[in-house]
Amino acid sequence: MKHSDDIRPPKWSLRFLRFFMKKEYLEEIEGDMEELFQEHAGQGSYRQARRQYTWEILRLMRPILLKRLGALQPVYSAGMYNNYYKTSVRGMMKNPFTSFINLFGLAVAIGFCILVYGFARWTYGMDQFHKNKQEVYLATFFAKRDGTYQQFGRAPAPLGPSLKKDFGQIRQVCRVEDRTVVVKFQDKVFNEHVRYTDPAFLEMLTFPLKWGTPKALAGIDNIILSEAMSVKYFGEENPVGAHLLVKFDKDRSKSFTVAGVAATFPDARSFDFDLLLNFENLRVADPGYNAYDWNTNLAATLIQVDHSADVDAIQRGMADYIQAHNAVAPVDWAISSFAFEPLATLSRKADSIRGCISNGSEANYKSVVFLVVLGILMLVLACLNYINIAIVTATKRLREIGVRKSMGASRGAVVAQFLYENGVTTLVALVLGFLFGAYVIIPWFETINHFSMGFRLADPALWIYLPAILLVTAIASGLYPSLYISKFPVVGILKGSVRFGKKNPLTKVFLVLQLILACIFITGSVMFSQNTAYLTHRSWGYNEHQALYVNLPDAAAYEKLEALLSRVPDVVSISGSVEHLGRGHATAIVRTPSHPFEVDQLSVGARYFKTMGLQLAAGRVFADHYKDDERTIVVNNLLVQSLALKNPIGQTLRIDSIQYRIIGVLNDFYSHSFYTKMRPTIFRVADKDQYRYLSLQTRPGSESKTYKIVQARWAELYPETPFSGGYQEDVWGNYYEELGVHATVWRAIAFTAILLVCLGLYGLVKLNIAGRVREFSIRKVLGAGMMNIADNVLRQYILLLIIALALGIPLSYTMGKRVLEFAYVYHMPINFSSVVLAVGILILIVLITLSTQIRKVLRANPVEGLKAE
Amino acid sequence: MKKTKLGEFEELVLLTAAALQEEAYGVEIKRELEKRLKERLSVGSIQSALKRMEQKGFLTSEFGEATQKRGGKRKRIYTVTLHGRNVLAEMKAIRADLWKAIPQLVNLRVI
Repeated sequence: MKHSDDIRPPKWSLRFLRFFMKKEYLEEIEGDMEELFQEHAGQGSYRQARRQYTWEILRLMRPILLKRLGALQPVYSAGMYNNYYKTSVRGMMKNPFTSFINLFGLAVAIGFCILVYGFARWTYGMDQFHKNKQEVYLATFFAKRDGTYQQFGRAPAPLGPSLKKDFGQIRQVCRVEDRTVVVKFQDKVFNEHVRYTDPAFLEMLTFPLKWGTPKALAGIDNIILSEAMSVKYFGEENPVGAHLLVKFDKDRSKSFTVAGVAATFPDARSFDFDLLLNFENLRVADPGYNAYDWNTNLAATLIQVDHSADVDAIQRGMADYIQAHNAVAPVDWAISSFAFEPLATLSRKADSIRGCISNGSEANYKSVVFLVVLGILMLVLACLNYINIAIVTATKRLREIGVRKSMGASRGAVVAQFLYENGVTTLVALVLGFLFGAYVIIPWFETINHFSMGFRLADPALWIYLPAILLVTAIASGLYPSLYISKFPVVGILKGSVRFGKKNPLTKVFLVLQLILACIFITGSVMFSQNTAYLTHRSWGYNEHQALYVNLPDAAAYEKLEALLSRVPDVVSISGSVEHLGRGHATAIVRTPSHPFEVDQLSVGARYFKTMGLQLAAGRVFADHYKDDERTIVVNNLLVQSLALKNPIGQTLRIDSIQYRIIGVLNDFYSHSFYTKMRPTIFRVADKDQYRYLSLQTRPGSESKTYKIVQARWAELYPETPFSGGYQEDVWGNYYEELGVHATVWRAIAFTAILLVCLGLYGLVKLNIAGRVREFSIRKVLGAGMMNIADNVLRQYILLLIIALALGIPLSYTMGKRVLEFAYVYHMPINFSSVVLAVGILILIVLITLSTQIRKVLRANPVEGLKAE
Repeated sequence: MKKTKLGEFEELVLLTAAALQEEAYGVEIKRELEKRLKERLSVGSIQSALKRMEQKGFLTSEFGEATQKRGGKRKRIYTVTLHGRNVLAEMKAIRADLWKAIPQLVNLRVI
């Protein structure tokens, strides 16, 4: 047993005990604890005894034993508060500029936090409006692809009805299939997406109707519209009872009665609908459609159970369905298991479920984390500004503090006063920041991102969040200055022997921190801008600028359109294809010795490569005569690399039990966007009667002229069918716009950060110089020139700037690199140029800020400076 | 009875303090009770019970001697007041009466 001298209870726990325990009980209880500790230490391990000691101390925190926090008690009176309020308002009015810096900085940071809140709320509220979100599940299946099991959001067509029949626990089932149709009402003709569903759709999911009844979906001749569709075709009128003509394809069409219009969809939704038709209409639209074929997949199959616990039992009983599917499906498409995904969390997983009905994205959750970090950094920046200025300003209030203390104010009372003043400032900042956030930042963010986050003032959680921000900000920014200011002795203050503020090392540390943060923000902004420029000019690997494409309603359209367009002089080349680059692809499975390998497949005409400007690296492309190349393929370089083929030309690949010979290898190209990884791709030859796309290449510079001609020819050929097609440049949708948005957001953030740092630095330097007016005046009288004064002012800041840069440059570089790698699959090569540029901007701004103050000193009349006070 | 408000745990602590006489200080009361109840008790629960009962006037206390193993801190010895003794006796009597009122419990069948 150790002697009691070398065994000590944990110091911190003891200190904590002394902090909270009532004075009169302390000796007894401290002794008790010591005695017990020695006993425990004697019995068992020393560490265990220490742990026990701490635990016991925590359990001693009982109301009857706790110290009353008496220090602050006596000052809690209305008169005192009135006085504090007056002092703080007068203080603000007296130094309007520094008050403005404090208010503005805090308001901007809080405004940003409001945006973060709105975005997080939107993200986490995704699809949560569905009343049955815990009971509704999406049927998904797992299948092996490229050696790993992947989840698919589609399900075999007969699965829904079979489940309903076989499992008593399932209350409702709803199948969903999506198709594109042409909708005509009077002179309005548009291409639309239509959802064929079972009537349960509107019961399982919470999409209330504005007009009409959900039951109407059971009617085979009824159609339900979204609000947007209703406005598009009928304006603000109630269209219930009106007739819409739906053309399924060239030959088949049917007239439907509008039976319902959905109310405005909630903003936080990851899927909705444009038009709803009864599932049975799928037979009208597509007579060949077989709803009993296990080899046909539907866009989605949803089930609703009474208790979420039932799903496990259902999941265990799926073996028969797996068998039913695998018996008819090709071996490469075999299902290994079924899984049911709850609606409540579907949007979050949607990224990893292929072909999922929900458009949700994990990226949003990542963005929330990202924004939270940015929000905290902004708030830190603003608080640091506040702290620095508060400490320096307090120099001028030493007398006041001295008088208050000598009148009997305890240190606690002075702290309370400063916290109160800070609370007033923060409250004003909160109001300004809230207005700024809710009415400027959020609408701006929504506009550039084309979405609505449904930010509402009536949100109860918001009214918890706002006071929380107020409290955190007020304490974070006010606690240190108030503790620092209040600690000086009265006598020293009144004698004038206390001089502080200028020499406080912490002020310098804070300034360095601010500069580091600014460095990070500016680097981020520069990197994102550079990356946007880089990606905007990056080639897609083919001639996307001169290419146009047209969707064809049927194969016959190709011949007609080609005949008309080949006479247009600006058209260089025309070709047809079944799938089109950037507009979709089929999927094929290549058999390799080790595992099945999934590739994108496009079936194209012989001239497609020339028209699209795809570059041949080796071999040849298809010959003009279709029959010759029926068993050959052209592949991209990535596929050759992925399969590690040496001398690929002439080798054969097995796809669906047929051998195909590789005749050509293409240089790599990006078919989707720089967000998605390039995929191994094969091209097969397509016959004319399969064409669904017409693509053409124009002479450079004549794209828009040719596009107009194409549209005009289309209108002549098909006056009843809307034109569908466009510039190849546009097939990535709003990809470039989105890139631009990222850069804009970053620039805005960097600009704010720079502004905050500038204001903080400006305020600090201004106060510093104001305190040294006499010194500078004397220097000037004694003949100091510009160099001397500038040297004097700059010296203390330049050193700080150098330290900040020494720390900030590596930090900015690493963080910028991380963010870029995190946000983009393909990005610019990262080098130090962005950091160098950012640092240059930062130094320039700091020097400009400092030089304004130096100029002021140089211009000032020394006599005035000496006369002051 | 209503005035006194002696909780069950408080009663146990009070009885222990009475039984321990001059040795009745925090840690010793805890040890004794732990031995009898065969369960672990926290210092906090004992101390809060003691302080509560002191406020209610069931106990008085004064500092005892300081020892080496207490880090030089004095003990506080608790003494049951007359009021405390009366309340304990009263409780005992009430319980005894109640036990007498349920004779069948003597033949209580466990299974």
